[in-house]
Amino acid sequence: MTTPVLQVDALRRSFGPATVVDGVSLRVDPGETVGLLGPNGAGKTTTISMIAGLLRPDDGSVRIQGVDMAKDPLAAKRHLGLVPQDLAIYPELSARSNLFFFGRLQGMRGTALRRRVAEVLDVVGLTDRATGASKTFSGGMKRRLNIAIGLLHEPRLLILDEPTVGVDPQSRNAILESVEALSGEGMAVLYTTHYMEEAERLCDRIGIMDAGRVIAEGTRDELVEITGGADTVTLVGEGPLDEVEVAVAGIPAVREVRRVAGERRLVMMVQGAPQAISAIVATATGAGMTLRDVETSRPDLESVFLHLTGKALRD
Amino acid sequence: MGRVLVMVGSDLRQQVLDRSIFIFGLAVPLALMWVFSLIFAPLAEELEPVTVAVSGPADDPLTGTLVETLGGLDDAVDVTVLEADAADVPALLADGEVGAGVLVPDGFSAALADGDAPQVQVRLPESPGLEGEVVTAVVDGVLRQFTATARTAAAAEELGGQPEEVDAVLAEDAATGPSVGWAQGETADEQLSARESIVAGQAGFFLLFTVGFGVLGLVVEREWGTLARLLSMPIPSWWVLLSKGLSSWLLGVLATGVLLLAGSLLFDDVHLGSPAVIAVLLLAVVAAATSIMFVIAKVARSAEQAGVAQTIVAITLGMSGGAFFRVSSEGALGTMLQLNPVTALGRGLGITAGGGGVVDLAPVLLAMGLMCVAMAALAVRVPGRRDVL
Repeated sequence: MTTPVLQVDALRRSFGPATVVDGVSLRVDPGETVGLLGPNGAGKTTTISMIAGLLRPDDGSVRIQGVDMAKDPLAAKRHLGLVPQDLAIYPELSARSNLFFFGRLQGMRGTALRRRVAEVLDVVGLTDRATGASKTFSGGMKRRLNIAIGLLHEPRLLILDEPTVGVDPQSRNAILESVEALSGEGMAVLYTTHYMEEAERLCDRIGIMDAGRVIAEGTRDELVEITGGADTVTLVGEGPLDEVEVAVAGIPAVREVRRVAGERRLVMMVQGAPQAISAIVATATGAGMTLRDVETSRPDLESVFLHLTGKALRD
Repeated sequence: MGRVLVMVGSDLRQQVLDRSIFIFGLAVPLALMWVFSLIFAPLAEELEPVTVAVSGPADDPLTGTLVETLGGLDDAVDVTVLEADAADVPALLADGEVGAGVLVPDGFSAALADGDAPQVQVRLPESPGLEGEVVTAVVDGVLRQFTATARTAAAAEELGGQPEEVDAVLAEDAATGPSVGWAQGETADEQLSARESIVAGQAGFFLLFTVGFGVLGLVVEREWGTLARLLSMPIPSWWVLLSKGLSSWLLGVLATGVLLLAGSLLFDDVHLGSPAVIAVLLLAVVAAATSIMFVIAKVARSAEQAGVAQTIVAITLGMSGGAFFRVSSEGALGTMLQLNPVTALGRGLGITAGGGGVVDLAPVLLAMGLMCVAMAALAVRVPGRRDVL
């Protein structure tokens, strides 16, 4: 059994009376990309902060490359590259100067540093803009520079905290391609996001977080299996939704029905939606619902989250 | 520790690229020094020569003594006494030919000796200036002394003294003249001239802004996310703190040093003393000012809050430290005011301007050292963000 690059056990952290992270455990192996998926406020960034040694946990442990963060933080941090959610760059400095500065703080210097700066600039596609002040960069370029700084010292573990927030689709794709390449090179990646598509595309395993806890963890297929492979059908409209909920729940193909809080929307897990959809629509309208929209989707992480929490991922 | 210097170098480079340090650390204070120098310094210039018209009885001994006293004020104000008729004095004042008029009544000495109260008038133009005030004060003082002597003589006579002996005392007093004197005060060893005070005060006031460029950068870096990145690096977190403190300190020493040098070169009659001793003073004062910024960095929740807090602190310490006008206080408040970098800079420069050395600066250096310790303790204890402080 290989030594995990990251081993997190039962992390717990409270702020005043609020428990923000409640017993989170994780493991990331070399070359593996593990995602933490959850809505805003789920506790992802607090978890990341404890893993990166920015925040002391109330309980639990973090080991990076076998080194306990609490006992020897400097040694543990040598194996760590952090890409914070904020654009952690100095706007007055050029991309190259930013990289040289953080590289020197990592203990790099001389030819090795110059070579590595050139490499990461190439990886993130900023070679042509290396000397201009980074405050003149677009949001996407700043994000890419943010990632380049995290990669510079070739860490064993790269933590990316929502790296695509506020990025245009083109830059987002470039960022995702960069991350895909990293795991191919043997780097362990911990990736937090609230975008289901990113987690599905990048991550070998995914931990779904809600209210400070990892409520499910596994590969994408393993997670989807939790729903029993059911499709998701969503009915939007007006009418006596309580009565409609009871009526559609009686259809054999419908496994589960939930009302989305505060919305005129019924979401149901349906076995074989293409075959059952006409019966569902007929039952709903027969129970007095005036339909505005009907959506169906194949099982995905969104439906897993909905299945586990009763909430949409982006609520 | 080489990585601390990497952080300091990067900080300084960014400040230079940002250019704010040049505006708030040098250009604005120099401009204010110039403006304040134009407004306030002339008020403290030396007194102008003045002509005083005196009308009085000829051969009256006390009138003669009064004239001699006025004419002998050369050390403070150059007075020329012009003997004139009482009727001409108003015209002389109106024409500006004299700066004051003194009208002594006939029989002045005899009236005083008889215990009467003869009226001596001092007339001044509409805008008498400080010179007219000086003449009035001197005449007032002389007359009080004449009156006291006359009363003493009358009392002696009543108590049985011989009239001849009393008259002899009065005559001797008239011949000797009163002991009223007037001279422009020399500045004490620890006092600066008006212009020097302006230079010292503005340098001290803006120091409290300059040192914010380093330490308060912690608050900005929290918002940027670079502080999180720095703290995730394999370096002790106190190195980050040290680098910010060093950046502030270097910027403060450089900017204040340049301000004091520029003030000495650009303004007349500004002599602040030995550069080496001033350098020692600066190192201590800037360290104390920097220590205050750590407390602000700890409690401020945003860069905007930090800026507001810094401005409030700077104005409070600047005003209480005499950056805009001189303040004096005694007792506990006076002691507290010594724990103020602006006060300390002014007081220290007063010592250096008076020729004092490092040993003479010891109380100021000690006060600044105490302040550093107190602020460091406060920064650790005060509730606030706990990422690096």
